Amino acid sequence: MAADPNHKKVVVNFQSVANAPKLRQSKFKIGGNEKFARVIEFLRRQIHQDTVFLYVNSAFSPNPDELISDLYNNFGIDGQLVVNYASSMAWG
Amino acid sequence: MGGSSVCDGTLSLDEFNASARALVTKWRGIDVDALPDWEWRPCRKMGVPSETEGFVALEGVYRTRAGGQIEESSDDSVPDDAVEHDTSVQSSRDNVHLYDFHIVYSFSYKVPVLYFQGLQAGMHISEHYCGYLLPLFSFLIANICNLSLGGQLLTLDEIKKDLPPHSLQLLNKSKWTFITREEHPHLSRPWFTLHPCGTSDWMKLLLHKLGDKDRSLQYLPAWLSVAGQAVGLKIPLKLYCSS
Repeated sequence: MAADPNHKKVVVNFQSVANAPKLRQSKFKIGGNEKFARVIEFLRRQIHQDTVFLYVNSAFSPNPDELISDLYNNFGIDGQLVVNYASSMAWG
Repeated sequence: MGGSSVCDGTLSLDEFNASARALVTKWRGIDVDALPDWEWRPCRKMGVPSETEGFVALEGVYRTRAGGQIEESSDDSVPDDAVEHDTSVQSSRDNVHLYDFHIVYSFSYKVPVLYFQGLQAGMHISEHYCGYLLPLFSFLIANICNLSLGGQLLTLDEIKKDLPPHSLQLLNKSKWTFITREEHPHLSRPWFTLHPCGTSDWMKLLLHKLGDKDRSLQYLPAWLSVAGQAVGLKIPLKLYCSS
């Protein structure tokens, strides 16, 4: 039996921009059935910052509720989902 | 034509108008079944619609107290026999809220600004029925809601209950620089608004890899991915797919 394609692990490639601290290791695997909120939480812990600004494909900032598999299927390139991050974003 | 300034995260009025048209068109094309359509609203001066000034509006977005988005409906899709079903709707304490969102160009910040207001739907629907009835029979619910729409505006405290947790935290931390109440520039009534001060900074990041033409057209969809999250408006992924 084939596994649910949504459960397939996805390689997330974190790319720091602007003043964000770089990660020693930039690629991580995460289950496709996880939500983007997990990626946000993970990165917050990695760079020890409460506020991070994440975006995909230089096009948009995914909603925390989006499924990783949906993001990968639509915006994955070369077998990975590239996630850019800056260390903060301010409204005011 | 105003000069292209999108590289620094801002945009000119012409670019705003072009991006707004692109947003309205693309949104219609992707068949967003959970939300109404964005519409361009020209400003009126002395009763005459302006050709250059206007704003984009998404009105009548339903939300239950749990914060979930519910399908919208348009008045013209209401079947005549809707009244037969109204026994399905029962009273309870769970109010349904209706939200209106407007994207207005700010001349001082040269960025789009989100204005929004919440309305009491004017009726109560039991939680039990909300779960499965609303997605299926939203047209009917909306019909009934609209009939009794009192138009009572939600206060900030009521709106807070509909905000996503991260926005609530932010609001508690920075009371005056996130969501505030300001006069709507085209309606001259107080609406809630997202503070535009930091907008150009994060827009610069979001758009830095795109070419000039793409930048201005994709400005509003990209901006909406961030502004929408702040107020719990989930933007469909299809808006960001290239085809």
